[in-house]
Amino acid sequence: MLWLCIQLPRLALEAAAGAAAAASRQTQLEQAALRQLALWAHQWSSQVACQHPLEPADNPGGEARLWIEIGASLELFGGHAKLQQLIGTALHALGYSGTLASAPTPQGAALLARAALATPAATLAELQRVLTPLALGFLALPAAHLSALHTAGLRRIGELLALPSTAVGRRFGSDTLHYLKRLTGTAPDLLPTITPPARFESTHELAGAVSDATALLFPLRRLLGELQGFLRARDQAVQQCTLKLVHHRGAPTLISVGLSQPGRDAAQLLGLLRERLDQCALRSPVLAMGLVAHELLAPYVLQTDAFSQSAEQAAQFHGVLDRLAARLGDTAVQSLRLQADHRPERAWHSIPGADNSSTALPANHAARPCWLLPRPRSIAAPAELLAGPERIESGWWDGADVARDYYLASDSSGARLWVFRDLRSGAWFVQGLWA
Amino acid sequence: MSRSALLEQLAQACRAGRADAQSPRPVQPTGFAALDALLPGGGWPLGAVTELMPESAGIGELSLVMPALAYLTRADRYLAWIAPPYLPYPSALARQGVQLERLLIVQVRDEAEALWAAEQALRCPSFGAVLAWPAAIDERRVRRLQLAAEAGGSCALLYRPESAAQLPSPAALRLKLKAAGRGTRVEIHKARGGYSNAVVVHSAAPTGP
Repeated sequence: MLWLCIQLPRLALEAAAGAAAAASRQTQLEQAALRQLALWAHQWSSQVACQHPLEPADNPGGEARLWIEIGASLELFGGHAKLQQLIGTALHALGYSGTLASAPTPQGAALLARAALATPAATLAELQRVLTPLALGFLALPAAHLSALHTAGLRRIGELLALPSTAVGRRFGSDTLHYLKRLTGTAPDLLPTITPPARFESTHELAGAVSDATALLFPLRRLLGELQGFLRARDQAVQQCTLKLVHHRGAPTLISVGLSQPGRDAAQLLGLLRERLDQCALRSPVLAMGLVAHELLAPYVLQTDAFSQSAEQAAQFHGVLDRLAARLGDTAVQSLRLQADHRPERAWHSIPGADNSSTALPANHAARPCWLLPRPRSIAAPAELLAGPERIESGWWDGADVARDYYLASDSSGARLWVFRDLRSGAWFVQGLWA
Repeated sequence: MSRSALLEQLAQACRAGRADAQSPRPVQPTGFAALDALLPGGGWPLGAVTELMPESAGIGELSLVMPALAYLTRADRYLAWIAPPYLPYPSALARQGVQLERLLIVQVRDEAEALWAAEQALRCPSFGAVLAWPAAIDERRVRRLQLAAEAGGSCALLYRPESAAQLPSPAALRLKLKAAGRGTRVEIHKARGGYSNAVVVHSAAPTGP
């Protein structure tokens, strides 16, 4: 076992100093932030634990701590130094500053983090060596216990560890003895580990009311980083996530984005949400923002398209579709499909998005113009009829029946029109252009 | 000959020399032998902007590109039609060999969105051709589309009003289209690596019942 301890001086960066109510609210926020951070840490290990400042045991300094068991993941991430650096960088990217240290016991790692010692201690013997010259003040013991040690003439941790355990228990109490055993690995440390839930939800309080959408990007990036870590830990992906902007009063603004394929890339989701944020005029200042992803899916694995396109190209294509939908609206991209109906206006329909199901062309099709007008336009009479007629009579069964003679006609400018004469009224209409 | 005229002549010679030295640009044959013979490289330039300037709508301006578009969709590349002025009639496109499942229509609210969408699609190699109908587009924006088309290797087809021929444009190919009976007359207004002002009467695809 090798535990990496992250010591966080102050969790929610937006410190709300002052009134007691604010302080208690602050505590709640910090607890929530720590829980989120624990979920984020699951991407590196299945064993994660955390300690909140208010949990009194072994925590006189009042810092928040996060432990990650990295021993099992070392090989996967290319060694101890590399993994520790990776975690440090990712933590920094989320906007947290913390001190990292690792040791074979959780308490050992916490002590080294408190002492800000970068010296690696991979084994219990190494830990003992590193601890020996350190001042007693680094021990996570209540102030009264520490002063008792001081009174007894002890100054260094090594001096305390050199005493026989029975003597330590007798002179300084069982609490101190038990702590020392956990520190040095002679007694197990039963940290309550955290299991990730089946959906992702995280909320981030802002420093103050924000009325400029661009100022939301930094906290948004942090939320998406958390989501990405959470999904990686579970090897899952999302196809939709919702950003919730909380205002002072009134219902929160909800912004949902979808991916055409399940994914978990924070940068991709940021790009999409950013498009939506750019468009959305904030109706009132934002106090907090949350990110929710309900449905966790298996990550998209490229299948059929791989025959004709490289995986990278297919991903790029879906990225373009997602960007278009994010900026232009979900129904902006449409596909056209044939429909078996003789009436030109009903011979097709459009469906949103890209759809790869192929359509068979209904048999019996005379030539048709490339452009169809949205609805037939009434004209006096065509200048010149070049070909026709083609009679279309259909639709008596649905009340929109037509009886028309279609012609290829040309107008004075030489443009070729697709016109018809309504057989009942005798009126002429243009319905298409031979473009 | 004045000094400046001489310099200009030299510069032209250098440009011509460099154009010759370059490897042939990729093209997509138009499907019309007479037109291919006229176009530099023998087809629609890929990775470049082609401007089509019909004198009016309904003179075979789409039929002219339809064989190439049909070929691209059969090669599993997508077509993006950005804010077409009318509805592309699916029956007609399917009849001309276009695989409808590879055709995407993109609706936009204004011209800025249309150009943005065109650029997005052009940069992506999955798109074989992107068609757009900008009412007014300046040189700088055409250049942006040109760069996007170069990045994606796709064919950017811009339908512009006939009057746009008077404006300068960095497009690789600029064609004026005129009605000619049941066909379409194609005039090369500008062609990179080709000759200007060549003229052909081109019979469009069968456009009549």
